[in-house]
Amino acid sequence: MAKELPGYGTINVPKDREVPFGAVTPAPVCTQNLFQTSNWRIVRPVKDDEKCTRCLICYLSCPDACWIYKEEEDMMEWVAGFCKGCQICINECPTGALTAAPELDFPDGVVRLEKPF
Amino acid sequence: MAKVHEITVWARGVIMDKEGRDVINIFAKAAQMDGKHAQAFDNYEDLPDRVLVTVRKYVRLSDEEIEHKYVYTNDQPEVVVIAEATIVKGIDVLLGMKKGGTLIINTNRSIDSMLKFIPNADLLSTIATVDADGITGVRTVDFSGSEGGVDESGIGKGIAAPIVGAIAKVTGMIKKEHLAKIVSDVSGMERGYKEVKIKKLG
Repeated sequence: MAKELPGYGTINVPKDREVPFGAVTPAPVCTQNLFQTSNWRIVRPVKDDEKCTRCLICYLSCPDACWIYKEEEDMMEWVAGFCKGCQICINECPTGALTAAPELDFPDGVVRLEKPF
Repeated sequence: MAKVHEITVWARGVIMDKEGRDVINIFAKAAQMDGKHAQAFDNYEDLPDRVLVTVRKYVRLSDEEIEHKYVYTNDQPEVVVIAEATIVKGIDVLLGMKKGGTLIINTNRSIDSMLKFIPNADLLSTIATVDADGITGVRTVDFSGSEGGVDESGIGKGIAAPIVGAIAKVTGMIKKEHLAKIVSDVSGMERGYKEVKIKKLG
């Protein structure tokens, strides 16, 4: 549907993507692959599935939506490409299931860029 | 025009901005005390006011006056200094380097484990590591920001001191005696000079 925005001209929003103002959507529908921020990270969160109660506080507290709840497997999934290593999830986790591990302990997980971004 | 030596320093935004800036300023000052011509530029291009984002700082060194004043980025760095080791994993830090360059990393890990993260390491002739975090025991001196107008802690405190000591030993472009007159943390600089581990590659 074509929408008139004052000062911005007309934008085309597909019918299935239309939401009312202030709506809450369940998850990001797509990822912005031109802005990979994984190389901002010094440490990464490592989860312990035994301690994790799936309370979703990491999902709520992550500024970059890097925790996703996988309903089929009943598991939290970490998105490596966009986590900046801010450690908010580690501080907020009520059961201590998340710990910070140095990024250099892992061989992969960081998108290697030519320029800072 | 005489050869211009280009040195690029990589650091993390905000938490290591001052440290990276100190390295280039100390380097350029020490070179000028030696009678060389030097330019030091804090970066402008990479939006440095974000926590943890990778930022670059540049120094140029020449025996004669440096003529290209208005281009400040180093397109062909000869020496690359990494103030925080994780940067080698996420960025092609050797981009533009000609064969026979030097890489200095602030880490307590072994040189071979660092080389695993650098796919184009064949460009290097020398790689060196210095454990500046371990020597000074502090990673961030203050958050005085990119502007530097309120920097009261003095030049060359924290990890900047061991890193410049290591640069002096590895490259030989600057002299330790001049560094001792500039940096606040002289003992840290001396330890960086002594404890740097150097490996020559092919």
